[in-house]
Parts: sequence; C-alpha cells; structure tokens
Amino acid sequence: MGRFKPKTSLAVFPVVLALLVVSACAADEKETSASTDVVTVENCGIDVTVEKPPERVYAAYQPAIEIAHALGISDRLIETAFLDSQVLPEYADAQDQVTYVEQLPTREALLATEPDFVLSGYNNVFTEDGAGDESFGTRASLADLGIQSWILSPLCPSADGLSDEAIDPATVSVETIYDDLRDLGVLFDVEDRAEEVIADQQQRIAAVEQAVAGADRPSVAIVLLDEGGGIRVAGGIDFGTQIIEHAGGVNAFADLVERRHVEIDLEELIRRDPDVIVTSTCCDASYTREDGAAEVQTILQNPALAGMSAVRDGAVHPFLFADRAAGVRIAHAIELLASLLHPDAVTPSQEGTSQDGTA
Amino acid sequence: MAATAPERPSDVPSAPARAVVAGSGLLRGGWTRMLGLAVAVALLVAVTLGSVLLGTLPVGLSDVVGALTGPPDSDVERAVRYIRIPRTATGLLAGTALGVAGAVMQGLTRNPLAGPGVLGVNAGAALAVVLAMVGLGITTAAGYVWFAFAGAAVAAVFVYLLGSLGLGGATPVKLALAGSAFTALLGAITTMITLRDASTMDDFRYWVVGSLTRSDGEALTAVAPLIAVGVVVAAGLTRALNALALGDDLARSLGTRLWIDRTVGALAVVLLAGGATAIAGPIGFIGLVVPHVARMVAGPDYRWVLAWTAVLAPTLLLVADVLGRVLVRPEQLQVGIITGLAGAPFFLYLVRNRKVVGT
Repeated sequence: MGRFKPKTSLAVFPVVLALLVVSACAADEKETSASTDVVTVENCGIDVTVEKPPERVYAAYQPAIEIAHALGISDRLIETAFLDSQVLPEYADAQDQVTYVEQLPTREALLATEPDFVLSGYNNVFTEDGAGDESFGTRASLADLGIQSWILSPLCPSADGLSDEAIDPATVSVETIYDDLRDLGVLFDVEDRAEEVIADQQQRIAAVEQAVAGADRPSVAIVLLDEGGGIRVAGGIDFGTQIIEHAGGVNAFADLVERRHVEIDLEELIRRDPDVIVTSTCCDASYTREDGAAEVQTILQNPALAGMSAVRDGAVHPFLFADRAAGVRIAHAIELLASLLHPDAVTPSQEGTSQDGTA
Repeated sequence: MAATAPERPSDVPSAPARAVVAGSGLLRGGWTRMLGLAVAVALLVAVTLGSVLLGTLPVGLSDVVGALTGPPDSDVERAVRYIRIPRTATGLLAGTALGVAGAVMQGLTRNPLAGPGVLGVNAGAALAVVLAMVGLGITTAAGYVWFAFAGAAVAAVFVYLLGSLGLGGATPVKLALAGSAFTALLGAITTMITLRDASTMDDFRYWVVGSLTRSDGEALTAVAPLIAVGVVVAAGLTRALNALALGDDLARSLGTRLWIDRTVGALAVVLLAGGATAIAGPIGFIGLVVPHVARMVAGPDYRWVLAWTAVLAPTLLLVADVLGRVLVRPEQLQVGIITGLAGAPFFLYLVRNRKVVGT
C-alpha cells in the first residue's frame, strides 16, 4: 500500500517527496522498523505514527489551537483556523505570531499549506462526505498522503468518517483530555511540558471541586438561541456536561444523549426550569463573554420565560461556546462556571478559596 | 352548481379538464359541499384548540381563559399567551395564505405543479433574509419579517415583468420559466453568501425549514392584514380562474381580460405567499398539495377549491406542528420538516395518479 497515489495533487508532491526522502517507513512497516524514533499512539481507534515530531501542524478549531500553544509547539503551526472566541490571555502572544484564517480551509487549501499533521478540536472536519466544503476528507485519506491527524478524544466518533452522532459517551471526560495531552506530548516530543499542563489543570480543577464540595448542585442549561424561535441545548454527551459537573452543578438536559446539541421546544426549558441558564456565545476570534450580553437580554426579555427561576433570580449568564469545549480551557471554564454557580465559594480570578460560612 | 356530471367512481383517472365547472370530486351538489365544508370548519376549530392545548407543558382550558383575560400569572399561562397562541395564529395565517396562494398560482398558470414559490417568492424572501443577517446583523426573528416580505415582493414583480416580455404577455409558460430561472439565480446568490459565513449558515439553516415559533404578536398583527387582503382578492378572482382553466382562447372569448386577472392574481400571491414566508419561513408542500386535496373533495370549481383550501391548509399545517411537538418529545421537529415528510409522498401519489386539473 503505497501512499504515493497517482492522483496526488501537485501541491502535496513536495511533502510526500520529503517524507519519502527522510524515511521510507510506511505505517504498515512499523513492525519491521528498528528505529527507536518511530512513535505510534492510538487516537480514536486509529494508529497515529510519526518518525519524528511533526514540524508542520495545521490546527483547526479553538481547542486544537490552544492545546498547541499550551504544549509549546506554537512555532510548528503553519496555520490556525476557526476560533470561537479570543484565545486565553496566556496564549494571546503566541497566537499573534501564527497565521490565522477565519474559515476552515477546503481539503485543497489544507493540502496547499503542506501540513504533516492536522490537529482538530472537533470531528466534523474528517467526515466522509465532506459536509459542504468544510471537510478535509477522512483521516485515512490524509494518512494516504502522509499526513497524520488527531481528533480530541472526547469527540471520538466510533469510526473514521463519522461525526457527532457517533460519540462514545464513555470518552467524554476530563481524564480523556489528559490522555490526549500525554499522547500528543509523546508525538511532539514535549512530554515534560504536557505533564506540566496536566498537573496545572488537575490542581486547579481539584481546587474548585474542593471549594464546591457539599454545596447544593444547581441545574444548569446551556442554551443556544436559534433563528426560528426554537432553541438548542447542550445534551449529556456534550463536554459542557463535564464542565458543569466539575463546577458543582448538573446539566438540566443530561438525559438527552443522541447528539451534542438537541433542539427542544421552548416549553421544555420552562418545564425543566433550570436554576441557571448560560448562553453559548460563538464564533469569532474577537469574542469575549461580554459578547453574550445580547443573548442574555433576549432570554430575559422573552415574556414567555418571565416566570423561570433563572430569569427571576438573575441567573442567566453570558458564556462562551469555547468554555464548554474539551481542551486546555477546561480549568479556566470550570473555575468560571463555578464562580457563577457558587459565587460565595469560588471567585473567578483565584482558585483555591476558602468556603467559610457557605452552605 | 348542480352536479350534473354523470356519476363515476372518484378514483377513475381524472375527468377531462373541459368538465371543469361541472361537478366532480368526492362531494357533489351544493348542499353536500356546504355541509362538508361546515364539518371541515369544525375540524379546523378543533385543531386550533388542540394546537393551543397540546404540547410540552400541560395546558387546561382554564389556563387558556386565564391567559386571555388578564396578565398571565403562571408559567403555563405565560406559555399559552406568548408561545401557544402566537404559534397557533401563525399556523392559521400562514396555512391559509400558503394554501390560497398555491390554488391561485395553479389556476393562473394552469400548472398543477405550481406552488406559491413559482413566482420566485420564497427565493426572494430567502435572499433578503440572508442579506439582513449578513449585511445588517439582524438576529431577531421579528426583524426579518419585513425583509422577507420585501424580498418576496421584489422577486415576484421582477419575475412577472420578465415573464411579460415578448409576445402574448405573461403567459403561464413564460411566467413559470421566468420564475424558475430567477429562483435558481437567487438561490445561487443565497448559497454563495451562506457558504462564506458559518454563523449565517447556521441561522439560515433554521429559517429555511420554516417554523411557527418565529413570530411574536407584533409581527403577526403587522402581517395579518396583508394576508387578509390577499385572501379577499383571491376570493374575487374565482370566476376568472374558472374561465382561465378553459384555456386562454376560450377564457378570452368568455370576456375575461387576461392581463388584468393575471396581474391581480399575482398581487394576491405576493401578499399571501410573501406574508406567510415573512412570519413562518418557506414552509413547503402546503401550497402545492392542499389545493389538490380540495379538488379531490370538491371538484375543480375554483369557488369551492379556494374555500376548501382556505380551511384545509391551516388545519393540516397546525396538525403538522402539533405532531412536531409531541412525536419526538422532549425534542422538537420544525413544522417544515413534518410538512415535507408528509407532503412529498402525497405529492408523488398525485403525480402518479394524475388527479390533477389543468394542463
């Protein structure tokens, strides 16, 4: 099985050639390769094999971009695409140094950047049919061109080419992100950095959990307002559920697990009457939480919702879509949400606080 | 309107179009049809009530009374007043408008496959809505109403002028061709814009399916008079539509002034289809299918076709909407999905059985 296909576009030719020159080691030859440099780790059931740490990384979507910066491989990013909001302050400088495009590239445009690794925050870029122009093609088809790829494991589809409908709920956890960071650390030869990132996340999340332990766990709805008067909510398999739980709450729609986002009747929101409603403000590289204010107003001003607990209690908060994604924002997101759910126990800026006097 | 046509089983391939004004259809004779229509109206009333009472939140008659007689003071009363009643009113208005527009369109163009969209109304509304989303950043449903209506009107006028060029004025074939071509052009522009802007694409995806949950009371009271005028104008056209069904030459020899009737008819369609699209989005199949159902029931006389269509179309639309609420609870299906699912097979049945009038 050569990966040198006759139809390989001219744009990829140099990459393929370069790879062949470096080493003619194809994926299926790895058993025979005695080289100690060859590294294989599994991601979403697919073996990801590199002969040396990837040098030309394409990062698609916020979580992938931020993970690259967190792992200290910003200088290996050839291009970054599709931010949902501003990157975290600690990555702002690094992000300023790399190429950024608002829209995901087409497969051709991706290949023209000559990546050797595609790191994606979400699974829809590798769908079989190429939803619209936004698919890079399946991961297998990229591997044929010598391009390895990675999907953040909490979004692993059950097979290459599938998308959100095939997420295994068991993989949707904070632990899975740590596993990913470790594996990426191995692939990129930045294992120490990966362990530091993991330790930082673990320590901050543990501090929040400790602060909110024993407190009441309010129900939270993550709401997307749709054109047409309907709404969608983040269901159980969305990573937002994990953010909510670590922050000391429960997802009011955790029982809906068919898809990450479930379209519901507005009356269903009234019926479940969550204690807290947060928006899901998205998608522009300039967005901060302040940009969710309009959505909050829309909810507060809807006369049908006037009797809801969250509306009466002033518990409708702007929240970024980016802050309920699997990635290295999780500690930040959990601290932030905990400060909204348990303002007496947690303050957003600092994590290890005392909980004196609170229930 | 005595039923003088010979008795024949209703499932025999359709009567020659020449038998137009004489009776055929399931119900024959003025009294039978009148009685049948009374039953249909009673059904519409029942469905309307059902649409207010059925849904996620349990609503009783007392809640409806409470919501109508004073400021609502419970979640259920608020839901009735601000969700169920606007939703039901949207269904009544949009259903009637789409059905009548479809019947007028089929009569004017003598094309049994004509729907409200033939004059480019939906495509024009869609493009205007997308422009409002992208260019002006309008994100509230009520904000689209006038854009949708203006887009529909401009498109219809343009198609009508285009179809009027050349010999013979606005003949049915030229109108249909101009409409199809213009619809394709507008659709291409709309697609071009939405493909370049992911968040607009997201909003547009919901708009284009059509739903009854979009408009608030303000939007409805603004559009209702337009639809009412459209219905009245259409009702005044029934004799002309009957004459037109005989063909241009015969109609002309019967004293019909074709260009006046066509212009007035087109005006009615713009008011009706434009109004419906403005408040509910481009809901499919109602305008196409219901006039055929009306013909199957009441025969091809447009006086009856219009009356039955005006009653049956909102009935079907409301039933579809209620199904969308209860079938997949707690999720929800937009009404456009239900009408598409139910309408498409019925439409195929119609085409295969030639239970159509005209041509």
